[in-house]
Amino acid sequence: MTVEKGNKLARASRDNGPGGKLATDPKLDSGSQKRIGDQLRAMYDELMQQPVPDRFRDLLEQLDKNGQKGGSQ
Amino acid sequence: MSQEPDPELREALLAAVPGLRAFAISLSGQVDRADDLVQDTLLRALSNLHRFEPGTNLNAWLFTILRNLFHSEYRKRRREVEDPDGSYAGRLRVQPEQGAHLDFEDFRSALSQLPSDQREALLLVGASGFSYEEAANICDCAVGTIKSRVNRARIRLASLLNVDDIEDLGPDSMTRAALQG
Repeated sequence: MTVEKGNKLARASRDNGPGGKLATDPKLDSGSQKRIGDQLRAMYDELMQQPVPDRFRDLLEQLDKNGQKGGSQ
Repeated sequence: MSQEPDPELREALLAAVPGLRAFAISLSGQVDRADDLVQDTLLRALSNLHRFEPGTNLNAWLFTILRNLFHSEYRKRRREVEDPDGSYAGRLRVQPEQGAHLDFEDFRSALSQLPSDQREALLLVGASGFSYEEAANICDCAVGTIKSRVNRARIRLASLLNVDDIEDLGPDSMTRAALQG
């Protein structure tokens, strides 16, 4: 049983072999990482800048009014 | 208590909306669907306010709700739609944006090609400003898992966007072209 397990492990590590990659994840170089990060944040910032649709403001105000109507305060 | 948000909380919820929308849009690739998700998130948060521990991170709590809603809805859709991956990716890619930023379109298209667990990990850590620990809590998985997903997401994006090529070929190839005139 232990032998079988050993074989399986050996096979698994060989499978990682072809690209010359180790079992640990490869890391991106810091320049590329920064570039990806910058693009992601730029895309995200644009979304964050969009005005909040009225439906959310209305929704929360509506709930606020209902809460006051309930009148525990 | 459960249905009467005080004004302060209402402001906090309102302040969280842009972040929730950005996350939902990036996750789903559709503004309409994202807004429905955000609305459902707010409603669910309001009806579960008693479960929120004051003093803890409201944003993280809201993101957790949104993510769970997104996944349960996605699972439901996957049962309904025959070719979920293809149609989903297709919708992401053709999503129109008023600004029409080509760079972002490329970026969104690349983002849409990531496995969804990698996409959400990258969005939480790389864009929404959560720590690895917070993201792990939101996704209900180990910190190491989040780190590995973020790392794989970056590598995949870099190859989809040819980031390495840009770095290598950009100025160099222009110089070369100029020299060869």
